[in-house]
Amino acid sequence: MAGVLEVRDLSKSFDGIVVASHIDLTLKSGSIVGLIGPNGAGKTSLFNLISGVVKFDSGTVLLDGSPLDRLKFHQRVRGGLSRTWQHTRLFPSLPVIDNLLIATHDYPGERLVNVLFGRRRLKAHDSVARDKAVGILGKMGLANVADDLVSDLPYGQQKLVGVARALMGDAKCLLLDEPMAGVEGQAYAAMQRVVREVAESGVAVCVVEHNIAFIRDLCDEGVFMFSGAIMARGSVAELIRDPQLTELYFGH
Amino acid sequence: MEYLYGIIIIIGLYVILATSFNLIIGYGGLVSIAHPVFFALGAYTSAVLSRDFGAPVLLAMLAGTLVALLASIALALPSLRVSGDYLLIASIGFQLGILEVIKNVRFTGGPGGFTNIPPFLIREFGRESYVVLVLAVMVAVILLVWWISRSDYGRAMSAMRDDELAFSSIGRDAMWMKIAIFGLGSGIAGLAGSLYAHYFRFIAPEQFEILQSSVILTMVVVGGLRTTWGPVVGALLLQALPQAISFLHLPPSVLGPIQGILFTGLVLVFMFFRPQGLVPAKEVWRAVQRPTGKAGENR
Repeated sequence: MAGVLEVRDLSKSFDGIVVASHIDLTLKSGSIVGLIGPNGAGKTSLFNLISGVVKFDSGTVLLDGSPLDRLKFHQRVRGGLSRTWQHTRLFPSLPVIDNLLIATHDYPGERLVNVLFGRRRLKAHDSVARDKAVGILGKMGLANVADDLVSDLPYGQQKLVGVARALMGDAKCLLLDEPMAGVEGQAYAAMQRVVREVAESGVAVCVVEHNIAFIRDLCDEGVFMFSGAIMARGSVAELIRDPQLTELYFGH
Repeated sequence: MEYLYGIIIIIGLYVILATSFNLIIGYGGLVSIAHPVFFALGAYTSAVLSRDFGAPVLLAMLAGTLVALLASIALALPSLRVSGDYLLIASIGFQLGILEVIKNVRFTGGPGGFTNIPPFLIREFGRESYVVLVLAVMVAVILLVWWISRSDYGRAMSAMRDDELAFSSIGRDAMWMKIAIFGLGSGIAGLAGSLYAHYFRFIAPEQFEILQSSVILTMVVVGGLRTTWGPVVGALLLQALPQAISFLHLPPSVLGPIQGILFTGLVLVFMFFRPQGLVPAKEVWRAVQRPTGKAGENR
């Protein structure tokens, strides 16, 4: 079965420093792939290359069979490729709900013409988006903080808002960059549940994470990266047991 | 009375310029110094079309606005494709270059200026009617920028200023938003230019020099970036100031430099002691109307 997202022979180097070397990766609908490896292995860089934050040197990325190579970051997102950030990158001047409202794939308020002459369209969109946002926040246990500023929330909840925002765009493929870093308690359980539910709804999910327990419990497949290359694939349990990989992970 | 009308119209036009520049630099986060040249493009287009081509003034004014708008898009499109920072550099070249062209082609009247611009409304309805026109446009511009800043577009502008990469990561196109903001703001400056031309009926390149850019910037910064009333207060204050100095009966050769020093000093004082300006902006974006419910309880 062809994947939702296909990465083929992707390479990138900065002034001779290789951050991605002939990467092949397939993300399938409904499955969660865990990307593990030590710091500097190129996991976040791979996300940046796939999503279009950084241009790659060679190779190709296909979303539902069509190449993304020539599309800009925001165009890839609109096409159904969504991502989150390790350090949330929420909009601090907006309340939680507005962080979400702005993130639908067809937000009409982005166009001045609509704001000046398309009131009806804006209103219609707003009510649909608001329902959707409230629904997503409810699932995450964030309904009661919808009108708070994101900076007033504990860090774990901010991470959840980051995922909630990424879900507003009806992604087919979701890239999560260290969703668990700094997350504990209730938010931890909520995050675990949400990621699983997202995958069950048919989204292809890829997670970069250092929390091995989280990866092991959640992922269908693990991919081990080291210095820009994929070293091993398999079940997460297998990867953890491999003494060679453990050595790479913790250093010599 | 004529003197007073002149002052009111100048203040009204500066409010329009400051408010539209606030849209660009405050809400859009775009740094440009070319605002005076769009003011000039509006003035010259309208003046030339109405005097030398016999266009009706109203139509000429519309054309002036449109030329400023299109020129600003032509400037923003290539520079913003690279990065926001290039707009500043491009705007410096644009401001200096276009003004140099105006000085050196014949149909603009060259460095001597463009005279005998057809008046508008004044002959038929008196000077008061023009004052009303300018003030009406001023109110419309203030309302327009206020409305945009509180609309769904305002929400997007807030997010874009907060974090442009995150803005892209939710599928939003920052580049086209910036172009639209810059185009609208500059188009309004063009409209102000045409309004200027048909009242004072004489325009010259030195009225649109780069120094004007710092005057407009000072109005916005001293008044308060990203606020509705900031540019209005700033324009009033900074127009009243030169009028006040003129009562000191200083020789004209000293007056100009003193004004320059005063304006620069004012900006520095505000940067140190009140960077938020006289009218401080709210840190949090607010919609025209808050949704019902528990909104706002936490603030």
